[in-house]
Amino acid sequence: MKTFYEQQVEKIYGQHGLHAYQYAMARQSKKFMEEHYARKIELKEIAAHACMSSFYYIRIFSKIYGLTPRQYLRDLRIHKAKELFKENIIVADVCYAVGYDSLPTFSTAFKRGTGYSPKEYIALHNSNRE
Amino acid sequence: MIKIYVTSVPVQDQDKALDFYTNKLGFVKKTDIPLGEHKWLTVVSPAEQSGVELLLEPMAFAPAQEYQKALKDAGIPWTSFAVDDVDKEYERLKGLGVTFTMEPKVAGPVKIAVLDDTVGNNIQLAQML
Repeated sequence: MKTFYEQQVEKIYGQHGLHAYQYAMARQSKKFMEEHYARKIELKEIAAHACMSSFYYIRIFSKIYGLTPRQYLRDLRIHKAKELFKENIIVADVCYAVGYDSLPTFSTAFKRGTGYSPKEYIALHNSNRE
Repeated sequence: MIKIYVTSVPVQDQDKALDFYTNKLGFVKKTDIPLGEHKWLTVVSPAEQSGVELLLEPMAFAPAQEYQKALKDAGIPWTSFAVDDVDKEYERLKGLGVTFTMEPKVAGPVKIAVLDDTVGNNIQLAQML
């Protein structure tokens, strides 16, 4: 017998207004970002992997994941950058390895996402390790 | 920037909870400080040992016990943990004798399952799809 919670989950997602294929397409585009975050990718290219126009894609992705594809890609790159910093890779190399072609842009995005500049983050990580 | 450093689940028995959360779910004990008849007992993810701590909080306040029971009876999870693969965790935990109140199910952008933590709570496992 299904619990009250399970019944509510089914009810909520039954009424969510999105079709299974829209979820599938959004997941496909998310996977594309996870595989290609290390290079410059345009929104049009990501939307194409969801078989949607850029405008429609942003709406659907935001509705499903609660953030825009651009925000998701930025968070993904910052997450990868943090992993690389833990391997003692220098900031400039990390910047390019996660798809940024400008160090100031990377530093600004990193600070916005973590509250720390890359240098501050590395210092904090090293002090935690000691 | 404000951050979450600890969150909690109320537990009926701290020792039993520690056994379940470490030996079944796979968390790692972080702090264990005696505080009167109870203790400040936290666990962390093995992947983020300096990350958010989960406090296994003794449930000694009667009205809170009623609230916990009401959630449990309705199958509502007290909290949710992220896993890489819900189906794999479901099979692994079933193999360890863990009871699930909801089998893996796709719900929009996530796949979720709900288990009984044996100390008064339903716990949801979630995998972002």
